[in-house]
Amino acid sequence: MIQKHQQLLWTLDSLLTGRAIREVRSGDVPLAQQLLQYHAVQAHVQEEVLAGWKPMGVIGLILPPTFSFLEMMWRICPALAVGCTVVAIVPPGSPSTLLLAQLAGGLGTFCGILNVIVGPASLGPTLGRCPGVQKVAFCGAAEEARVLRQSLAGHRLELSLALDLESLLLVMDSADLDSAVEGVVDAAWSDRSPVRHMHGGLRLLVQESVWEETMRRLQSRMRRLRSGPGLDGAVDMGTRGAAACDVAQRCVQEARSQGAEVFQAVTVPSGGPLFPPTLVSGLPPAAPCAQAEVPWPLVMASPFRTAKEALAMANSTPRGGSASVWSERLGQALELAYGLRVGTVWINTHGLRDPAVPIGGCKESGSSWHGGLDGLYEYLQPSGTPGQLPFVFEHLNYDSFGLALPTALPAWPETGPSPVPPYGLFIRGRFQPSGAGSSRPIWDSSGKLHGYVAEGAAEDVRGAVEAAHQAATGWERQSPGARAALLVALAAALEHRGPGLASRLQRHGVELEAAKVEVELSARRLRAWAAQAQAQAQGHTLQVAGLRGPVLRLREPLGVLAVVCPDEWPLLAFVSLLAPALAHGNTVVLVPSGTCPLLALEICQDVASLFPAGLVNVVTGDRDHLTRCLALHQDVQALWYFGSAEGSQFVEWASAGNLKPVWVNSGCPRAWEQEPQGAGPELRLRAARTKALWLPMGD
Amino acid sequence: MAARSRGAELDLGWISKIQVNQPAVLRRAEQIQACRTVKKEWRAAWLLKAVTCIDLTTLSGDDTFSNIQRLCYKAKYPIREDLLKALNMHDEGITVAAVCVYPARVCDAVKALKAAGCDVPVASVATGFPAAQTHLKTRLEEIRLAMEDGATEIDVVINRSLVLTGQWEALYDEIRQFRQACGEAHLKTILATGELGSLTNVYKASMIAMMAGSDFIKTSTGKETVNATFPVAIVMLRAIRDFFWKTGNKVGFKPAGGIRTAKDSLAWLSLIKEELGDEWLKPELFRIGASSLLADIEQQIYHHVTGRYAACYDLPMS
Repeated sequence: MIQKHQQLLWTLDSLLTGRAIREVRSGDVPLAQQLLQYHAVQAHVQEEVLAGWKPMGVIGLILPPTFSFLEMMWRICPALAVGCTVVAIVPPGSPSTLLLAQLAGGLGTFCGILNVIVGPASLGPTLGRCPGVQKVAFCGAAEEARVLRQSLAGHRLELSLALDLESLLLVMDSADLDSAVEGVVDAAWSDRSPVRHMHGGLRLLVQESVWEETMRRLQSRMRRLRSGPGLDGAVDMGTRGAAACDVAQRCVQEARSQGAEVFQAVTVPSGGPLFPPTLVSGLPPAAPCAQAEVPWPLVMASPFRTAKEALAMANSTPRGGSASVWSERLGQALELAYGLRVGTVWINTHGLRDPAVPIGGCKESGSSWHGGLDGLYEYLQPSGTPGQLPFVFEHLNYDSFGLALPTALPAWPETGPSPVPPYGLFIRGRFQPSGAGSSRPIWDSSGKLHGYVAEGAAEDVRGAVEAAHQAATGWERQSPGARAALLVALAAALEHRGPGLASRLQRHGVELEAAKVEVELSARRLRAWAAQAQAQAQGHTLQVAGLRGPVLRLREPLGVLAVVCPDEWPLLAFVSLLAPALAHGNTVVLVPSGTCPLLALEICQDVASLFPAGLVNVVTGDRDHLTRCLALHQDVQALWYFGSAEGSQFVEWASAGNLKPVWVNSGCPRAWEQEPQGAGPELRLRAARTKALWLPMGD
Repeated sequence: MAARSRGAELDLGWISKIQVNQPAVLRRAEQIQACRTVKKEWRAAWLLKAVTCIDLTTLSGDDTFSNIQRLCYKAKYPIREDLLKALNMHDEGITVAAVCVYPARVCDAVKALKAAGCDVPVASVATGFPAAQTHLKTRLEEIRLAMEDGATEIDVVINRSLVLTGQWEALYDEIRQFRQACGEAHLKTILATGELGSLTNVYKASMIAMMAGSDFIKTSTGKETVNATFPVAIVMLRAIRDFFWKTGNKVGFKPAGGIRTAKDSLAWLSLIKEELGDEWLKPELFRIGASSLLADIEQQIYHHVTGRYAACYDLPMS
């Protein structure tokens, strides 16, 4: 279909998005065809490869203005391939999507799999509220994404965001400078279809020793670029519309006023929608203009001294989409590639895409993926997940949720079999009292007092997250074997403690037999995840057509993972959540079950002796209050919440702050003792993030 | 003829830190070939420009006076008169840039060109073309003999073994000696890039050749398995640009071997324009070493003028 109507598609796309037709013709349309073929193959093998997962259902897709039909294809293909149906909201004035929908409808067999509605993006929340919509995928600007996240909180649907605009290019002194300059041109000013949707600007980091040379070559190359209307075949750079030009103009003026040097080589008629390629240098991060996202077609260049400094500068923005590293020294290039916090890294090239390679981001670039296996997983859910009816707490007061700390009077008598349960918050490898200095009583099933736990508050959460971050760098570097060994050691310690744990469970109303089973199952889970950690290779290689050289799909830890454990299965759920998080290299801050946190604290005694300090932190206390602290914390990379429905809604709402991925249970209990729900592939998927590493080869 | 290049003192620092990334250069090469297309009368103009930059070449074992004479006349009248008249270019003096032959045939070429009344220079290949695996003494002697016979341009071949063993000073010395032997003649240094092994070596050899005083650097002899390709050309053009930035000397560029169609020649012209700029788009700084290219260009011009495709016998053979 696409082949037959190629010319119409590319002309239309070039007219709409303003991009140079040459790029649309030679890049986009063949890629669209490849996408379709790849996903058709995936659909065929879905039965074997993806057994245990089922399609989500109806997917809503919200797209920004001036995106290309290819971007829509990237999202629709995986959704349709796994069996979901799509409703897309496109802004008015984009006939290319309607054309696509028409072509799809013309295929005849299944009506209604692809529906396109023309309307403003503010229809998003309305779409989300329709019953039956399981997921909303949003592409656009970060601010709108935040608003959407907040308005869709509690609707029992997944929200995936694809926000990154800006890209990063790192030039080391051992790079081929001329080729790196070509890379800059590719990344910033060629209209090759961008990694995400709207093409943003480029942050360029150049090593100081080669700064002069690079700038000189870049400026001389800029003089040869041609900017013009998109339909002209000889043009390098088209336009993105008047709005984009205004943004760029404002940015340039601000940059000048803050003391930057601005270089524009090509003269274009002013007032028109064309904007010349622009190079801005001399604007360190502290300048206000340098903190916002770099708009098209600007390149903001900054020097750095060493590779470590480059990494620090590169990772110091909230955006984490894609980057390229230019260096001829293999070891240096790989070290930088592994250290950058982005979703895609190219070495000595920029902007390559392929249907089999996942494209995504981290931090505030949103955490949704398209392409490759990860793209398919976006639209799947584990089989056996019950459908959930949306139930929104319309009047949940976000400002006051969990704000107040309830106080409790001491109760007595404090009875119970010895040993006395450990007391305190487990932070940084030791037990410490809470900052607030108060405690809460824990009652067992017969109404008697079981023990006291410390009442954690905001400072404690902050301390726990800091401790987790400090332990994170060391833990990430541990080999999978080392991680596995620690988990196995913990499993052995758990078994050793078995009788004590079982008797505590008994006090909470669990039958002795069931308690023993629970303990045994916990130990088994730990060992299973230890084996997983070993088996999970450093990443696997994808073969990509059109590239000589491997593409690695790495699974990297998220960072600091905050987990709020459920009330049901206090021991098993705690262990089932802790183990995968640790096995994938994350550090954790846990809020244990509200009814019986003492079990978690018992385990912490073993953790204290076995694990490095700060790896596992447990904060007890009022669940709502602690959830609030964790959800609003900007430095927590992901949050798993298994609590009440109101809590789930709050967590979704609050995650708009740093756009962290969240996983909530919306108040429904989960069958932790069953394998698929307690230890299934979903946990494996959610405990790490993917990074695609492209390594072209040749001499 | 352009002024002779002054060369520079040998400075190995210019080539010590250079790195060339091959996949990236390949990508750039693919882009350039697709990116600038020319149509209609501009295309005809570019093709005529290409004709003026051709070094019409015959380097076969069976060259004798008869085919050299035909070649020299074709050099004077590259495009049929009536086609030039139709384009209104008949009195612009459109000829090729030079005629390139083996040293033994230089006499014949000079005689034929004198008879035709043409002042197109005769270029001779020398120094053990194409393999350069002969003694330095005989190589220098070849240059002198060719110059005595009347060649005003000399295409020398570098000693690849020096490049492959990293003997850069020795390479510089050899080319310097070729330069001195050439005297006032125009020196083109053939790098035989297909045999140099890596793009980094191509850059380094180009730089050394330019430092030693070459007026032109040339990609290949035309006899290797891989001759003039875009990635190699991009690297050499970057070297020429860097040399110009460092010393202010403009060195010319000549791709040779494998350029057979008019479309190729247009791609080469646009490559030069993109990488070096318009000043290099003239016979003093750009040549194309070709033999059958002229026929294809003439076909294209015929098509432009008449709207029809010519049969091979419509156009005079060379």
